[in-house]
Amino acid sequence: MEHIVFGIGITALAGALATVAGSAEDTESNIGSQGDPNSQVQLAPQMGFMHRIFNKAVAGEPPAYGLWCALGAGLAWAFMAMQINAVLAIVLGCILAVFVQGVYATTAYLGRTASLAKFGQPVYTDILKSMTTVTMAHAFIAIFCTVTLCYLINAALGHPFPLPLLGLIWGITLGAAGSATGNPYYGKERQYQNQKFGAGVPISASGNIVRYAEAGERNSLDNGFFTAKFGGAASGVCFGLIVFLELWRTVIFERIGAGWGAIIVGILMILVFTVADRYIEVWARKTYGPYTEPKKEASS
Amino acid sequence: MSAVAAKPAAGGAMNPTAMAVGVVMLIILLAIAWKMAPGLGLMALIGVIIGGVLIGFGVHFVPVGGAPAAMGQAPGIATGVAMLAAGAGVAGLFGGAWAAEQGLVVAVVTGAVGGGLMMAITCMLVNFVYVFGMGIPAASGKVLKDPITGDSQPEYKSQGTEGHGLPFVSFVGGVIGGLLGGAGGTLIYIELLDLYKVTLPTVLNASAADVLPVAVAAAGMFAIALFLVNAVLTAYNITGTIEGPHDPKFKRWPRAIVASAVASALCGLVAVLIVTI
Repeated sequence: MEHIVFGIGITALAGALATVAGSAEDTESNIGSQGDPNSQVQLAPQMGFMHRIFNKAVAGEPPAYGLWCALGAGLAWAFMAMQINAVLAIVLGCILAVFVQGVYATTAYLGRTASLAKFGQPVYTDILKSMTTVTMAHAFIAIFCTVTLCYLINAALGHPFPLPLLGLIWGITLGAAGSATGNPYYGKERQYQNQKFGAGVPISASGNIVRYAEAGERNSLDNGFFTAKFGGAASGVCFGLIVFLELWRTVIFERIGAGWGAIIVGILMILVFTVADRYIEVWARKTYGPYTEPKKEASS
Repeated sequence: MSAVAAKPAAGGAMNPTAMAVGVVMLIILLAIAWKMAPGLGLMALIGVIIGGVLIGFGVHFVPVGGAPAAMGQAPGIATGVAMLAAGAGVAGLFGGAWAAEQGLVVAVVTGAVGGGLMMAITCMLVNFVYVFGMGIPAASGKVLKDPITGDSQPEYKSQGTEGHGLPFVSFVGGVIGGLLGGAGGTLIYIELLDLYKVTLPTVLNASAADVLPVAVAAAGMFAIALFLVNAVLTAYNITGTIEGPHDPKFKRWPRAIVASAVASALCGLVAVLIVTI
């Protein structure tokens, strides 16, 4: 019984860490403009719209976070093998991983923006100086939380994978969850704030991103401030639920029916999310209604 | 026709010669394994190939909209095919590896459910963001009616887009993709772990307990690597975006199966031979 209570406590802590990690990951990727919406940041100068948005989407978020979290976890693992205290080892490992992220962000911004020189897009050194450190700070929170939850899974819950491998796995999943959930909100709702609410961006508007703020030109810090309020929170909930429910079903139900208990609970949870998704879909169709009149059978 | 709706002209065509060459290569690779690592090595390789094929097939189900989806211009999840499939698959592998002690069937099913659960949560929250954050209902651009629910789609597409969000069939496709990916990744891990647990004590001249961490780490790394190989390979077959099982691009799966089998056999052969020769 004590074992299960201990496991539930660790599961709750890991879920909370994952929620913070997901939120920080999405905000970091939006300030750094790393997700798919960055295609518009890259496209805008080619359409004649100069901007002051950061631009570092050389790799997708999942492999990038896979690298940084595996690096942080691997270095923390090495420091722990040198008999350094676990908390200090994780902090040191994550700091070194964040420096790699900072180098990546700097070279990516300079390289990608310099490639737009023929369209007249300048490289703003003040943007580089003010925003790289902010992405690094958010990346540190995301990497630290992920490496810490990996350490808890390995050391307290006894998962067989070594810490660097867990860092890679949960880093990739963090990037996948954060980019899937947070990207539309940054892409549609923030970059195209001048388009109609409640509709997709018409393809003809591609590249015409919002470039001006309440005072002066908009920059990526404004974008991070905006998306953290919904996209970041949703990404945090997404990654937090993934980690929490995966651990919860294993810790509590694994011993029932020689492993089948956790499987049945997992299937039930999938069904619950399926019903929730269908409810959301139907709710939207009923509440918002169609954009155009339904086509009659004869005309189709 | 808009840029998003445009399809590569020859993208969906099957090439019988290439398929035949792929099958011949597969047989050759299996023959090499049979000659150089008969018994456990060959069995592990067959498990790796089946796992790779499951991953390759599963990736076709995952609704991926890429950059257009991030602007609400196309349905699907706003990230890359390989990215999302890998995220779901390794989440499944995590659960499967945890259940490895409980036998092959339980571990593989646990891995499948782990991948499916990750996709179910992600797909539900994608629709949550579209509906409650952006006020946009789900609509498919490829079919007039959702094949599962029968909901009509065209009138819910906003002007100038190919659809947006995840219609129910795409959600189900995502969960199936996660299930297959998680099962395939776990199968590869278990097969390689069983092989390494038997062979590594001889290779490293150490006790079984001493080599266990090495066996777990090596099998885990090969499982993730094979996952990425198959996910990226399938991403090329899909060429960008896919809505799910109702998308016409889904019909391209046979050639991805052959390609995944050959790629998994080649990579799996390396994973087997490093401990058997």
